[in-house]
Amino acid sequence: MPGSPGMAGLAGSGAMKDATTYFYRPIVLLFGSVSVILTVYVLWLTLHNISLLRPGQESFIGFDNYVRLLFDGRAINALGRTVLFTVAATVIEVALGLAISLLVDREFLGKRIVRGILLVPIVMTPVVVGLTWRFLLDPSNGMMNYLLSTIGLGPVDWLGNPNVALFSLLMADIWQWTPFVVLLTMASLESLPGDPQNAARVDGAREWQVLWFITLPALKRALMVVALIRAIDAVKAFDIFYIMTRGGPALSTETLNLYGYISAFTNFDISYSLTIALVLTILTNVALLLLYNLAFKAPKQGET
Amino acid sequence: MKRRHFIAFALALSSSVAASAFAQDADQPYKGTRLAVLMEGHPTTDGIQALLPEFTAATGIEVELEVVPESDITAKMLLEFSSGSGRYDVVQNNIIYIPGFLKAGYIAPLDELAGKFPADYDKADFVPGYLNTNIVDGKLYGLPVYGESTFLMYRKDLFEEYGIAPPKSFGEVTAAAKTIKEKSNGAVAGITMRGAQGIQNVYVWAGWLWGYGGEFITADGKSALGTDEAAASLDAFASVLRDYGPVGVANFGWEENRVLFQQGKAGMTMDATVNGAFNEDPSISSVVGKVGYVPVPVETDTLKGGSSSLAVHSLYISEASQNKEAAWLFASWATAKEQQIKSFALAPNSGVTSLAALNSEEFAKRYGAFKDAMLASINAGNPQYLPTVEAANEVINNAGIAVSKVLAGTASAKDALAEANAANDAALSR
Repeated sequence: MPGSPGMAGLAGSGAMKDATTYFYRPIVLLFGSVSVILTVYVLWLTLHNISLLRPGQESFIGFDNYVRLLFDGRAINALGRTVLFTVAATVIEVALGLAISLLVDREFLGKRIVRGILLVPIVMTPVVVGLTWRFLLDPSNGMMNYLLSTIGLGPVDWLGNPNVALFSLLMADIWQWTPFVVLLTMASLESLPGDPQNAARVDGAREWQVLWFITLPALKRALMVVALIRAIDAVKAFDIFYIMTRGGPALSTETLNLYGYISAFTNFDISYSLTIALVLTILTNVALLLLYNLAFKAPKQGET
Repeated sequence: MKRRHFIAFALALSSSVAASAFAQDADQPYKGTRLAVLMEGHPTTDGIQALLPEFTAATGIEVELEVVPESDITAKMLLEFSSGSGRYDVVQNNIIYIPGFLKAGYIAPLDELAGKFPADYDKADFVPGYLNTNIVDGKLYGLPVYGESTFLMYRKDLFEEYGIAPPKSFGEVTAAAKTIKEKSNGAVAGITMRGAQGIQNVYVWAGWLWGYGGEFITADGKSALGTDEAAASLDAFASVLRDYGPVGVANFGWEENRVLFQQGKAGMTMDATVNGAFNEDPSISSVVGKVGYVPVPVETDTLKGGSSSLAVHSLYISEASQNKEAAWLFASWATAKEQQIKSFALAPNSGVTSLAALNSEEFAKRYGAFKDAMLASINAGNPQYLPTVEAANEVINNAGIAVSKVLAGTASAKDALAEANAANDAALSR
C-alpha cells in the first residue's frame, strides 16, 4: 500500500515540498481556528446560566453546570444508553454488512440491481425511515405484529415497552446503515488482488481458511474505517429517536444527545444543554482516538 | 448578520412600498407590508390559511404564514425572541407560556392598538373565559384563536349493552373499563388515553391529579407532586391503562389515541374537546352518533382546582416587531367572528372563540352532540390545569417522565413522583 513516505520521495525534497504546504496549510489553519474558537465560545457559555426565558439575566457560575452534570442520574443513564446503542449498532452493522458482502462478492446476474437496492435505505432521510418504522412497529395496525401473528406470536409493544424500545430503534438503524457497510466492503473486496487467495487454494487451503487467514486480514483496515464512520454516526443519531420515541417510554430511549436537545428546547436551559453537548463531544473524541490508534497504529500485520 | 441585513433591507423595501401605496390608496395604509406569522399546526390554522387571500385583498398586507407542530413552536419563537431579531411579527402559543413571555418582555400590550383599529375587534364576542386569560394586570396581551377543555368520551352503545352508567368518579371509570374489556372478551379496550412521555401524558393525567385533590405547584411556589393525592391519582391512571388499555398505549400521542377511539376499538377516552369534532365526522369516524360526552370525573369533593382543562391558544404580537399596527390588523382579522364562522366549512374546528360562531346554527348542526358537555367543561375549566410558571415546560417534562415510568411499570407512583418533585423544586428555584 503506498503510504505518505513514498509520496514524499516521489515529490522530492526542498522547493517542491514547500510549495505543497501553501495549499494545505491555510485550510488546516482555517478549520483549526474555527474549531478552536467555537469550542472556546461553547466552553465560555457553559460557565454561565443562560436561559431563553431569562434574557439579560445570565451570570457567571463557574463549573456549576459540570458539577450538576456529574451528579445528574438522568444524564449518566443517558450516557449508558448512548454507549450501548453505539457499540451494538456498530458491531452488528459491521458484522452483518461483512457477511452480506462476502455472500454477494461474486459475479452473478443482477449484481448491479442488488447494488442499487442496497442504496435505497442509505439515501432515505432518517425522518422518513423513522416514520416508516413507526408504522411498521405500530402495536395494533403495524406489519411487524401482523407477521408475528401469522406464526402465532402475541403482539409485541415495540415502542411502548421500555425493555424493547431501544432495540426497536436499533433495528431501524441497522436496517438503514448495514447497506453502507456492505457497499464499502464490497468495493474493497473487489480491489483485493486475487492472487494470494488462488495461491492458497493451490496450496490446499480450504475456503474458510482462505477467508480467515487471507481475505479478512486484508480487509481489516477497510473494516476499521467503516466501523469508525458508523460509530461516529451512531453517537450522533438523533432523527430516528426524535421521530419514533422522543426518549420515552420512561426515558428508556433517551440518549445523551437527546437529553441535550430536551435541555435546550424543552427546558430552555441553554448553558446546561451545551455542557452536555461538550462533555459528549470530549468523550466521543477520546473513544474514537483510542479506536483510531487501535486501527492504524497497531502492528500492520494485515498488509500484503 | 446576514439575516439582519436582509431584514433591514426587506424593511426598507416594504416601508418605501408602503409609503408609496399610502399616497395611492388611503384605505390600505399598510399595503405592501410583509408580516411574518408563526402558527401551530391545527385545524384553526388551516382555516385561517385558506382565508388569507381575502385579508390580503382587503388590506394589501402580505402574510408569510409559517406553520410548525405545537410541540416545537415555543422553542422556535424563543430563539428568535431572545435574539431580539423581530423575525416574527405575530406568534401563536398556549396561555401557559405567557407569564414567562411577559417577564422577559417578549410580547406587546394591545390596548392602544385595539383603540386605534377597532374594526375587527369585538371584545364582547369572545368567550369570556378565553379572553380573560389574556388580560394580565388589566392589560390585553393576546387574542384567542382557539380554546378547548377536556372531557370524558364514552361509547353509549356499549354502556347500554353492558348496563353501565356514565362514570362520575375515577373509581367508576376503572370499573367501567374492566366491564367493557371483560364483556367484549378483550376485543374492545376498556379505555384509551395518551401515554407518551411529556406533555402528551401530562395533559391527560393532570385531570386525574386535580380530580384526586392534588395540584402541580403550591401557592408559595413549591412543587406539590410528592403528596399522597398525586401518588393515588397516578396509580389509578396507570393501572387502568395497564389493565384495561390498548396495546402500545405507553407510546400513544394525541393522534394515536384519537384514531383508536374513532375506529371503535375502545370504550372510553379522556381528551381535549376538539376530539368530539373528529368523533362526529362521518368521513373519518366509525362511531358517529354513538359517543356520549360527560365532564372529567372527580374522586373527592375537596378540590384545589377543577379537573377539566382550560387551554387557550392565542395570537401575540412580538415586542420586537417593526409592524405592530399591521400585525394587529392581522390578529384581529384572524380571530374575528366572520372568519371563525367561515372556518367551519374549511376544517373540523370546535374550538371557536367567538360567541357568535359558538351559537351559530352551523355549530349546532356539526357539533351539537357534544356542545353542551363542551360548554360545561369550559365553564368549569381550570386555568391552572397545567402549571403556568416560567419553568412550566420543565415541570411538565419531569411529571411526564414520572407518568411514563409508572405506566411502563419501571417505578412505583410514590418513587417516580418523589423524583419528579425533587427535579421540579430544583427547576422552580433555578
